[in-house]
Amino acid sequence: MNDAVDPFEAIKVVFFQECDELLGDLEAGLLAIEGGDTELETVNAVFRAVHSVKGGAGAFGLEDLVRFAHVFETLMDEVRAGRKACDDTMVKTLLRASDVLADHIAAARGQADPVDAARSAGLVAELEALTRGEVYVAPAAPVSDPVMDALATDRTGMDAGLAGGEAQAEAPFEPVPVMPGLPQADEFGFRPVVFDLKALDTLPPPAVANGWRVVFRPRGRMYAHANEAGLMLRELARLGQATVTLDASELPDLEAMSAEEGYLSWTVDIVGASESDVRDVFDFVGSDCDTTFTALADVAASAEAAPAFDIAALLARAQAEVAAPMMLEPIVSMAVAPPAPGAAPVPAAGTAPGTTTAATARPAASASPAASPSVTAASAAPTIRVDLDRVDRLINVVGELVIQQAMLAQRVVESGLARSSGISVGLEDLELLTREIQDSVMAIRAQPVKSVFQRMPRLVREVAEMTGKRVRLVTAGEDTEVDKTVVERLAEPITHMLRNAIDHGLEGPDDRVAAGKPAEGTVRLAALHRSGRIVIEISDDGRGINRERVRGIAVSKGLVAEDASLSDEEIDNLIFLPGFSTADTVSDISGRGVGMDVVRRSIQALGGRITIASSPGKGSVFTLSLPLTLAVMDGMVVSAAEQTLVAPLTAIVESLLPRAADVHHVGGHDAVITFREKFVPLIDVAQVMGFRTEPVPPSSGVAVIVETEAGVRAALLFDAIQGQRQVVIKSLETNYQQVPGIAAATILGDGRVALILDVDALVTNARRKPVRADLKMAS
Amino acid sequence: MMMMNETPSSSTTASSSTIRELIAFRIGEQEFCIDIMSVREIRGWTPATPLPRAPGYMKGVINLRGAVLPIVDLAARFGLATTEPSARHVIMVAHVGGRLVGLLVDAVSDIIQMDGATLQATPDMASDQVKAFVKGLFALEGRMISLVELGWIIPDVEAQAA
Amino acid sequence: MIKTVLTIDDSRTMRDMLMMALVEAGYRVIQAVDGVDGLETLSAEGADVVITDINMPRLDGFGFIEGMRSDPANRSIPVLVLSTESDAAKKQRARDAGATGWIVKPFDPVKLVEAVRRVAA
Repeated sequence: MNDAVDPFEAIKVVFFQECDELLGDLEAGLLAIEGGDTELETVNAVFRAVHSVKGGAGAFGLEDLVRFAHVFETLMDEVRAGRKACDDTMVKTLLRASDVLADHIAAARGQADPVDAARSAGLVAELEALTRGEVYVAPAAPVSDPVMDALATDRTGMDAGLAGGEAQAEAPFEPVPVMPGLPQADEFGFRPVVFDLKALDTLPPPAVANGWRVVFRPRGRMYAHANEAGLMLRELARLGQATVTLDASELPDLEAMSAEEGYLSWTVDIVGASESDVRDVFDFVGSDCDTTFTALADVAASAEAAPAFDIAALLARAQAEVAAPMMLEPIVSMAVAPPAPGAAPVPAAGTAPGTTTAATARPAASASPAASPSVTAASAAPTIRVDLDRVDRLINVVGELVIQQAMLAQRVVESGLARSSGISVGLEDLELLTREIQDSVMAIRAQPVKSVFQRMPRLVREVAEMTGKRVRLVTAGEDTEVDKTVVERLAEPITHMLRNAIDHGLEGPDDRVAAGKPAEGTVRLAALHRSGRIVIEISDDGRGINRERVRGIAVSKGLVAEDASLSDEEIDNLIFLPGFSTADTVSDISGRGVGMDVVRRSIQALGGRITIASSPGKGSVFTLSLPLTLAVMDGMVVSAAEQTLVAPLTAIVESLLPRAADVHHVGGHDAVITFREKFVPLIDVAQVMGFRTEPVPPSSGVAVIVETEAGVRAALLFDAIQGQRQVVIKSLETNYQQVPGIAAATILGDGRVALILDVDALVTNARRKPVRADLKMAS
Repeated sequence: MMMMNETPSSSTTASSSTIRELIAFRIGEQEFCIDIMSVREIRGWTPATPLPRAPGYMKGVINLRGAVLPIVDLAARFGLATTEPSARHVIMVAHVGGRLVGLLVDAVSDIIQMDGATLQATPDMASDQVKAFVKGLFALEGRMISLVELGWIIPDVEAQAA
Repeated sequence: MIKTVLTIDDSRTMRDMLMMALVEAGYRVIQAVDGVDGLETLSAEGADVVITDINMPRLDGFGFIEGMRSDPANRSIPVLVLSTESDAAKKQRARDAGATGWIVKPFDPVKLVEAVRRVAA
């Protein structure tokens, strides 16, 4: 673009180019639907194409195009919402409409003659009729036809609405001229003083000498939407002369205070503002904020003033109280606040009792940190707020420390120094200290799972409603802490499993009553620590796993041999197999094609395990077990064809030296080895990885018996085992991408990168039929 | 993602905005260059840990002060030849779309300043592979230096998954 | 400090128009083409304000806001929803998802900037 071109015109050119693409998408989508495509996404794409044309056209004031596109879009909206079915008649009409739309675009571009008005009007009539659920029949005599008259009226109404180039009755952001010279927000972003505004001449003269009183009390939800009372107050202040009073009488004791609720309310009297302006300020927050509006003239002179806010009294009370552990919770959640220095994402009601505002104005970059330490120091075990950045950096550096310490230890060993020498002993101490530092640092980043659990009640309500089931969600252990890296990735698997539990696990209310159960089903979500890991249990009191059916499905999908004898547990675990999900198990809810195998994979990606226990007629329990942190792992360092690899210790059962007699060959390439009376597949890892093309005799190497999440066992063949170590996990995806068979990477003592094996992927890919693993040796 | 563009309406646009600072490097007999802002550091070759079943141009990964850095053999990526890396070779650590990538080249020549407006189109006789990665040619004192588009070096994983 | 606005819209026209209005008002603008791209860009680059369309492929505006708000670190970033529709139900949906405000398009650049100033201050 050069300076001579008006940028607006340049964008218009872009718009028309985009219209070409959109028309292409539109037609392709409609043809697909005509050809039998019933995907929701196809319909959505058609809707979006028309919607985008309309949006852009509106921006350039292309009235005819907007009008036509609007009618088109309205019908598409009905279709995508499922309120109208797109049958053959409709598709054909839509295709014709897309032609007319193209004509409108060409006309607007100046490339063609104006659109044939009659044809366009005819299509509009057809589209509108279809939107009403009727089929339009062209009138024989166009004169004084009630349908046409009605249409004309409709169109007028639409014109009026669209003429403004902007939407309708509800105009949200009524802009108010920015007031120059407004004093900066103080560190809390709150100015509980009377405003003295200058430059009032930019405001329209107040229609009424009197004004309005607004009492508003934000709810926690409002803050969760990045709205703040400070913003409301500022807007109100711009409307006229404002007097503000704060009511903090509902502020509870510190222990009872939640960092995310609102307890404060403000009364603002604005002189010189109109009712609509005042209401507009709160237009968007709607029900997130309790508001009442009263004309100042109606405010009784004897109205009680809001109780004065006595900071000193509140502080004294805080200091007098014994710090309850509950106090720590809001502070901890502050400590893991966003990197923006000092900015609190949450109302300062949780920060400290002393601050007078729940509106820690985010824009005021120097917000509350100054306030909190002094107050909290008095009332709770001392805490400080730390930028998340710093914590992350600290953890990285400690991770490096671990690596360096390992490298040092290696060099010392290589140098041949005796283990009893001062240096070696010193190094061992160093290793212990390093681990301790690492554990402490990890604890800093620990977060309660509450943030994930909190979203679940709503999810449960939605799924219950969609499936017509009655569900009660019970949660436990939401204060259980786990590393931030794990917490963030729990949401998805938990969500899927809850959906599953409600959709498939629970019976409908009638069935439940018939079975002697309460109509309302219970789903329980609990978190706890167990043997150094975090365990999440999701249980329901539904129908349990129908083992007959599961087994039948698995057999019909070729996942299991028909005559295979499986224990109850093995049958339950069949649902985790890829390819298990059937058409009717993948409903809209648990939907979009997510089966339990995907859930399991995402748990495994976290280094976790998932198991299921089920009782037919009584319910099921899914147990997720996860490491407390993603950053380190205990591994077995092995070599394969000159490459060093690491196998996660959690997957390893045993290692052994294979004897030729124990190895049997099946088919052309596959080998199995006997282990504890069973045959398990023997996987030559070097070959699978492509590090070596020729197979080697198994007896020349070492076999590591591993077990996948589903309990399937295999033997991984390596050249040698180098040792066992805790390793720092480095992601491959950060700078590259996921590599099949490899979970992550680490840096060994010699400074070189070693790949960490994805045991489950290795075993699953090597096995073609699970049947072989079931072969039992004749006793 | 896009950075703020200079809009025509901003009055400070001058031809100085088209001068680019580039780092020129050699692969075989050919010279290439990339935007110097993309390059983080230059280091010598260290043996890389191979990735299983990776494309031929992926030499493996190395440890860059604790980060796992993939190494792309640019000669192979451009369809020229596969490099047998040695201590004489150079790795340019570059920022490509939010990732750090190591580019294996024969040698780094120098830092040059070129006026972006003088970029010539890649001639038709260039091979398809080269054309895929090369945005154009600069002529400098008798040298022909091809400007490389780094974004295409590592195929976008999302594009495959979408 | 220059504030960064992340604009998410699958229409190139709209992105260009937003950029024009915002850059002239002194903001730095980064763009994304749909909800998924939006979440990635936000996580990679951060932003002071987000403006997002509703109807987009892969992940729509509501999905983006919900995804964004699910990370507590993003709670204080204001999100303005940009849409041609403005019925109360959609607004409530936007509110429920976590939006801070609503702008109707076609938008008046002056009003757009005012809205951004109002929430980003």
